Amino acid sequence: MIQFSLNGQTVQVTDIDPNMTILRYLRTVSMHSATKEGCAGGDCGACSILVAEEAQQGQLRFQAINACIALLGSLDGKTIFTVEALKVGDHLHPVQQAMVDYHGAQCGFCTPGIVASLAALYHNKGGAQATDEEIHEALSGNLCRCTGYRPIIDAAKAMNAYPAPSQDSPASSTGVVQFDPCAPNSLEQAAVSQAGKHLFIPETEGQLSQLLKDYPDATLWAGGTDLGLELTQQFKRFDVIISLHKLASLTKVTETDDDISFGAMVTYSDAEAHLAKQFPAFAQLIQRIAARQIRNLGTLGGNVANASPIGDTPPVFLALNARVELASINGKREVALDDFFKGYKVTDLQKGEYLRQIIVPKLTAQQSLHVFKVSKRKEDDISAVLAGVRIEHDGSNITDARIAFGGMAATPLRAVNTEKDLMGKPFELSSFEHAAEHIQNDYSPMKDVRATAEYRLNVASNLIIKTGLEIFEPESLTQGGHA
Amino acid sequence: MSTYMSSKMDAYDVRRKRPVKGKSGKSATHDSALQHVTGEAIYIDDMPVLPGTLHLAMGLSEKAHAKIKSMDLSAVKSAPGVRSVVTVDDVPGQVDIGPVFPGDVLFADDLVQYVGQPLFAVGADTFEQAKMAAKLAKVEYEELPAVLTIQEALKQAHFVRPTHEQNKGDYKAALENAPNTLSGDLYVKGQEHFYLEGQVSYVWPQEDGGMQVYTSSQHPTEVQKLIAEVLDLPINHVQVQVRRMGGGFGGKETQAAPFACMASLMAHMTGRPVKARIARQDDMVTTGKRHDFYNEFTVGYDDQGKLLGADIMVAGMAGYSPDLTDAIVDRAMFHSDNAYNFPAARVVGHRAKTHTVSNTAFRGFGGPQGVAISEYILDNVARAVGRDPLDVRLENLYKDGDVTHYGQTIEDYHMHELITQLADDCEYRKRREAITAFNTANKYKKRGMALTPVKFGNSFTVSHLNQAGALVNIYTDGSIHLNYGGTEMGQGLFTKVAQVVANEFQVDLDMVKVSATNTEKVPNTSPTAASSGTDLNGKAAQNACIKLKERLDDFGKRHYGATEVRFENNHVVLVGATQNHDGMEGDELWIGFGPYVEQAYMGRTSLSATGYYATPKIYYDRAKASGRPFFYYATGAACTEVEIDTLTGEYDMLRADILHDAGHSLNPAIDIGQIEGAYVQGMGWMTTEELNWDDKGRVISNGPATYKIPTAADMPNVFNTKLFNRKNAEETIYNSKAVGEPPLMHGISAWLALRDAAASVSDYKVNPPMNTPATPERVLDAVNYCKANS
Repeated sequence: MIQFSLNGQTVQVTDIDPNMTILRYLRTVSMHSATKEGCAGGDCGACSILVAEEAQQGQLRFQAINACIALLGSLDGKTIFTVEALKVGDHLHPVQQAMVDYHGAQCGFCTPGIVASLAALYHNKGGAQATDEEIHEALSGNLCRCTGYRPIIDAAKAMNAYPAPSQDSPASSTGVVQFDPCAPNSLEQAAVSQAGKHLFIPETEGQLSQLLKDYPDATLWAGGTDLGLELTQQFKRFDVIISLHKLASLTKVTETDDDISFGAMVTYSDAEAHLAKQFPAFAQLIQRIAARQIRNLGTLGGNVANASPIGDTPPVFLALNARVELASINGKREVALDDFFKGYKVTDLQKGEYLRQIIVPKLTAQQSLHVFKVSKRKEDDISAVLAGVRIEHDGSNITDARIAFGGMAATPLRAVNTEKDLMGKPFELSSFEHAAEHIQNDYSPMKDVRATAEYRLNVASNLIIKTGLEIFEPESLTQGGHA
Repeated sequence: MSTYMSSKMDAYDVRRKRPVKGKSGKSATHDSALQHVTGEAIYIDDMPVLPGTLHLAMGLSEKAHAKIKSMDLSAVKSAPGVRSVVTVDDVPGQVDIGPVFPGDVLFADDLVQYVGQPLFAVGADTFEQAKMAAKLAKVEYEELPAVLTIQEALKQAHFVRPTHEQNKGDYKAALENAPNTLSGDLYVKGQEHFYLEGQVSYVWPQEDGGMQVYTSSQHPTEVQKLIAEVLDLPINHVQVQVRRMGGGFGGKETQAAPFACMASLMAHMTGRPVKARIARQDDMVTTGKRHDFYNEFTVGYDDQGKLLGADIMVAGMAGYSPDLTDAIVDRAMFHSDNAYNFPAARVVGHRAKTHTVSNTAFRGFGGPQGVAISEYILDNVARAVGRDPLDVRLENLYKDGDVTHYGQTIEDYHMHELITQLADDCEYRKRREAITAFNTANKYKKRGMALTPVKFGNSFTVSHLNQAGALVNIYTDGSIHLNYGGTEMGQGLFTKVAQVVANEFQVDLDMVKVSATNTEKVPNTSPTAASSGTDLNGKAAQNACIKLKERLDDFGKRHYGATEVRFENNHVVLVGATQNHDGMEGDELWIGFGPYVEQAYMGRTSLSATGYYATPKIYYDRAKASGRPFFYYATGAACTEVEIDTLTGEYDMLRADILHDAGHSLNPAIDIGQIEGAYVQGMGWMTTEELNWDDKGRVISNGPATYKIPTAADMPNVFNTKLFNRKNAEETIYNSKAVGEPPLMHGISAWLALRDAAASVSDYKVNPPMNTPATPERVLDAVNYCKANS
């Protein structure tokens, strides 16, 4: 059985396709049609809904997610709200009233998703005025093709000036606190099964290891932001899915003097604050990975284990000389990330094994991290080129350089020739300008829908120069602002 | 809901004294605003599904140009949940569903002409079952040579329609005598509509063999006619209804019909309701887009940059069939002068046939591609003579009395004043100096700015479409029902036309309700396209109102002995009424609109009227390539400032200022919404939105993961939009101007600002080639070109 709270009502689901997404459930089973399907790929945000968690001091924390690619089973034990829950009688939620008054909707199809995203912002801010950055960030995963966004942003700026939401709205109440999550599913049987397909929801790593022994070909569902596409774009159906969302031990971030370790199920959103402390450049990258809705679902472990050549975090983890801890019923082992990626979407993970955590050495005082993401669009786009660079120096010379790129090869890959050239060179801009010429010896990238091979090489080379500029002439890279 | 009827709650004596609410010229909110924000607005996929409904998915061609040797659908038919498979062999009537000219087929017969062309449709109990079943077809192809580019089509003279040519004066002599000439080419890529609601139709078969059709279409009449033709039915057996679309942008003008026809065919075969909701990727592969254009030009100019003559060739990528390409290439030709007077010119327009999806209408309809070539030319000339592009633009503007290269005389042209006002408002000159200072001080970051105008011709270039009908019913409580052929796709048409009706009767806006566009209420309508929605339907609705007012006037004179009847503040005012009544004020009798209407009904007055409108003055003689194709021009200008990173080509939109002429705006909030939305859509077309095809003719930008429309962060950091409030000299509805398409071309200023920033690397000595869209890659190419050539 899957049990969750939907708009204040407890829902129990038993006989259902384990491959069912939340959106399909909402639109064809529970008949909540306010939530729309725009792309079924987690890219447009028309399907945004709210997941509420009890944060500290009985406060609710709301996260907008893409219902289209999220697995219904991953809701087990959770509380969600759709736009239907925001209005009570004639009392519109402040987001809704502001959107009306500021002409924030034209065709209206993206609007429920935008209302959901802004409602999350409204509640998480406790009704306080959001900054421009927070508004942009909240809307980063919501496409609107009609308005050009100006009236939506104006509505977001104004929403806190409206009367508070109705206290009768389930989203305003302590619905999440009242919700009694279901008893743990026993592992003898799947949480749900239908037509020979099964979904398991383990709550301990022991259970997970046993399941992986019994079902070595099972699909591990972390955030599912890539797997979900196989359901909704390729119309694939998985026989056995193991949803990892209840494994609390995989959501921990731990620190020692030397390392910081991220449990595999730490989402991008949850990682951000930790990264901001240790690796500000990495944290800034996180803000450009997909959009808020995806960052609320997607996990660091998933991004690494997926081994995509265009995943954004692996090059940075490579530059940071990270290791991964792999576990199975037979025990645990650590593998340097350098040795983890074996080929296009192939890793060192063996059958029955799962990625437990990513262990990242902290930067020393002599080291700096530089991260650059280049894509057609600033938000919610896949990198044409992504660079992670760690430079170590002794004040006069470069003593170590670790450079990894995404989008340049079949796997995230180190730029060994460029690294070698930098080693021992004077710690000055010209060393980077010279080293940049070696990029062409490190990579022969592809042409694809995002960029040509020539552009990738040119940019990758220039990003080595930019690394030098970031160290020696940071003011030359200050960007944007007002005219 | 009480919110809707609040003004009816006011007593008439209150309404007597206050001005009417939401009248024309006021920023009334969108008529569906409440339903939009609550998610209560019903789109077709939200309608309750009838029992037995089949969900339709298509099998698509995998080859660009091939003969179908065999098609084995047995696995499709036996897949779980499948109830029906239809192919071209099942069509009882016409297979060709070309909207204007033949060439578009509902399903491929033995020949496929693009990757993604529908081969068959499968109907299953669920959407997912249909999608999974469609993948099981086994199709054998015999590949044929495919033409995949405009340049190749030009080489082979492979066209869907004949080439057209317009001439003004002796362009050859003008170019020969010009002290300077320059030549070049420009490739302008197309654009995916990316309406948030994909194509969708839901069809219910009727007892008489007819079909009731709910579709997301800008052209219900065409859907109705094509279904009738496919099913071999009289048109009156098919009823098509459109309440709203989740975005259209031209992509649902002709492209909604195939899916409605497929669903109707399956409904005809099975007797079941059929829903065709097209998955996003199928939508992006199977439906047409904005045309790519390949353009070439030679212009002559003097040392000050004054244009002397031009020879312009535009070639649109039609795809495999004509669809609307003829009119689209015509419109590109009509707009290749944009705002400027070419004293002599030749404009040639080709309609290239390629083995790709048939391209279609998209906001601007070829106009933007024409304007782009003109603005690119002006930029090139300005840099060639070493002047600020704004000065060269100002110097070459049309003046009243000038004649275009297609014979239309320029009238009521305020462009110089409009541009000057915008340049002053946005401090163009001061900021130009600041940009120069910034670029001198910064080695890697460069800024650029461009101010570009748009002059856009309003009217369908297919002249018979310039007509509209409306239906206005008044009920005995005074509430008014309005219907017309125009469709609502978010642009606020329903609101603006309701404001016209409210204004005619001087009643509160919420007394007027617009219902779904329906072919049984107003027949034989034109598509909601060419920015014509308000111009045509507003006038038709006004015409119906005038008829009703005449009847109400007659009744007042007949029944009350009034000498004059007028409408004011939710009342009917009878001047000189012969008898004393309650409500007399001096010699005026004031009766609430509702009670008066009820009296008129009791007095046997017809309270329902149709209205009609046909645009006056327009004609185009194709043989002479001359005429007045446009009733009037809408104008505007935009100034965009950008900053680029010369190491990666990435950029930021720092500021945009727009001044746009919507005539006497019927609804400033809605008009500004159209202008801002069009700017951002145009900016996306010119910057990050890149259609890509592989060498087999497959669209590889086939979803939002690979095709990037602007997000909120792409909006300019400073974004100012103002209306140039000027009465339209032509007698349009309340002297307003159409506003749907013209402002899309403001996005061109973003592209040319990027080019300006790149050119700064050469101190503006070089004109870097910059095809569109100006992705970071193309910006970096332009920077590198400037470095290499200066």
